[in-house]
Amino acid sequence: MNEGTRFLILSLEGEAYAVPISRLLEIAVPRNIQKDPNLTGPFEGTFEFRGNLIPVLNIKKVLKLSGVIGTTLLVVKGGKGTLGVLVDAVTEILDTDQRPVPMPAGVINPGIQYFSGILRHKDNLVLLLNGDGLLP
Amino acid sequence: MIHSYLVFLLSGRLFGVKLLGAIEILPWRRSRTVPLSYSSVEGLIDYRGTIYPVFNIGRRLFMSGPGPAGAPAQAEAAQSIILLEENKHFFGITVDSVVKMAKLEEPSAPPEKIQGMEMKYIQGVVREDDQEILVLDFERLLHAD
Repeated sequence: MNEGTRFLILSLEGEAYAVPISRLLEIAVPRNIQKDPNLTGPFEGTFEFRGNLIPVLNIKKVLKLSGVIGTTLLVVKGGKGTLGVLVDAVTEILDTDQRPVPMPAGVINPGIQYFSGILRHKDNLVLLLNGDGLLP
Repeated sequence: MIHSYLVFLLSGRLFGVKLLGAIEILPWRRSRTVPLSYSSVEGLIDYRGTIYPVFNIGRRLFMSGPGPAGAPAQAEAAQSIILLEENKHFFGITVDSVVKMAKLEEPSAPPEKIQGMEMKYIQGVVREDDQEILVLDFERLLHAD
């Protein structure tokens, strides 16, 4: 199996997104998120993971999605270290040999690097989250 | 020069787009939304192996929403989606309805002003049977924002 060919499909406000499994460390219940005055904006606080405090990102705020805060915590390896990402749900694992299709021109400001491509899955288009670009 | 155009209705006005490449007309369907996308982007559609961005060109053309320039746009579920290819660039636009494909004369200069309309996106006008068909400048329309 080549690296990067398995993806975790997750949902945010009813739409599907994906992260490469190679980035995923754990799926957790977001209990005991501690407020941290140094973490503001899209961060909800910190979460203790394997003895360390990691920042918890409310990705809906980053993506300007409405709705309640996600109830599932993904612990992922981001470009700047480990972080927790709050999502609505994880749905399944997609095992695929497709290469993500680049975002077509004219859709989004090229400076916004939260998406690294598009995957097809069960008649749906899934936006692949860019692990390195997740931190705002 | 006579060219083939696709003529469609949007907010009660006739618009034309020069046909350069392949074209598909689809009944309205929900697009996959992309968070943080430009305001005129409806989303993405996967059609026969190609992912098309779909643009709501009415949001660009009518400065303050549909107003004096014409009747309000139809409810989106009644609209059609036209998939176009220009210079190996694939994209879709939402329109109220497709009127016809026709060979039209070379457009003349557009009127200077049409109330409520962003004239910079209008390349020219073709008058046919007492009707005005506004020819769109897609280079500008799609690369604005």
